[in-house]
Amino acid sequence: MSQSSLPQELREPMARAIRLEYWNIFWTLTIIVTMGLVLGQSETMKTAWIEDTLGLVPPIMFLIAAHMERHSHRSRRFPFGFERVNGLGFFVAAVALTAVGALLLYNALMALGTQEHATVGSIVILGHDLWLGWLMLAAQIYSLIPPLFIGRKELPLAKQLNDKLLHTDALMNKANWLTGAAGLAGIIGLGLGWWWADSLAAAIISVDVLNDGIKALRSSTAELVDGAPRALSSTDLSQDAQKVCDRLQAEFPDATVRLRETGRLIRAEVHDTHPPSECRHPRHYWPDDEDRAWRLAQVSFIPPMEADEKS
Amino acid sequence: MMRGAAFALLLLGACDALPRDPAGTSARIERNRIFTVALADPALRSAPQVGRLVEEIERRTKARAQWRSGSGEPLFQQLDEGRIDLVIGRFTADSPWAADVAFAPALSTSGTKDAPIELKAAIRNGENRWIMTVERASRAISREARDQ
Repeated sequence: MSQSSLPQELREPMARAIRLEYWNIFWTLTIIVTMGLVLGQSETMKTAWIEDTLGLVPPIMFLIAAHMERHSHRSRRFPFGFERVNGLGFFVAAVALTAVGALLLYNALMALGTQEHATVGSIVILGHDLWLGWLMLAAQIYSLIPPLFIGRKELPLAKQLNDKLLHTDALMNKANWLTGAAGLAGIIGLGLGWWWADSLAAAIISVDVLNDGIKALRSSTAELVDGAPRALSSTDLSQDAQKVCDRLQAEFPDATVRLRETGRLIRAEVHDTHPPSECRHPRHYWPDDEDRAWRLAQVSFIPPMEADEKS
Repeated sequence: MMRGAAFALLLLGACDALPRDPAGTSARIERNRIFTVALADPALRSAPQVGRLVEEIERRTKARAQWRSGSGEPLFQQLDEGRIDLVIGRFTADSPWAADVAFAPALSTSGTKDAPIELKAAIRNGENRWIMTVERASRAISREARDQ
């Protein structure tokens, strides 16, 4: 048995995901700097900039979790290794997204309520006075491009690794065009003299951040309280887990099957039944293709109490 | 080549179309050919840079400056309500009014290094086209404003 928490067959896709996340952090930093240089007083720009900065949280948490999963070994103090570090990272990212999303929404609504008029003045470039809004639009357009490519590359890896942190990051990146479009509309609206466009666009972006945060929070807390395994992209129950449950239930019809998730792995408890006479690896119970059998890390049998058996 | 030039001209035209003022300050000044100015400190009337700034704005807007009397905080209130278009005065670099009004680049700086006092124009927040006009005029008449 591997001394680290990561199943052997996931080492190669995990290495690719780590490389991709380093690129993700690099491109996100270029976006943060570009946007930061032209922030001005625009509420839209500030919100979009904070959202981009928050975009660093999932890849950083992923890299920390991946490092611990790959390099930290099981020990007396941590006999189960660090397979749940990923879940903890997912929870931290979810809390950050939710809290900042709520704060940004509050700010945007306050700006709308108090009818704040954002000032976006001019800047001198090569001797010419240019409205800062044009640079904001250019920065917004630039901020759309890297996440689109990174999100597309992350998605298949997240599915292969069954990594919720990576999957949330991929979805956030892929959906970035929506917030980008809201940001562009906000700046153009501001330029057209619609003072409310800026705060409205900021509110739309913050609702998107908040929505991502709440979804991630629901899924991550479910794992932390030993809830049934959840699907990658939603709070619904995982289909993989449902199939495992059905498979175990078919072989042990009188038993109660309980499933939980530790990071990317599923652990099953089969209550009120005796284990089969022959020795079986947990992967034996995986119902579908062998490629994903690594997900089922443990199947434990809890026999009925003697008194129950007699009755 | 011709298409490229036409596109560049179109782009320049679009660049000039934005920004517009939410409360229509620039359009009103263009229509009435008058803009209102007040000095935060009446003694500034004799400052050469104040006269040059107002003349430069008059030249750019083809409008005439109408001077209003007043001083201190009530002027900022009037600026915020759109009853005055411009307030010129000496303000600290980290003026508490910075969130409520927009400041153009400083024309000149006096005071100490730790507490600089800047001669500059204050404009109503959000009136971005009018703000740009005043910023451009400030840069046109002051080297210090250009270097900011």
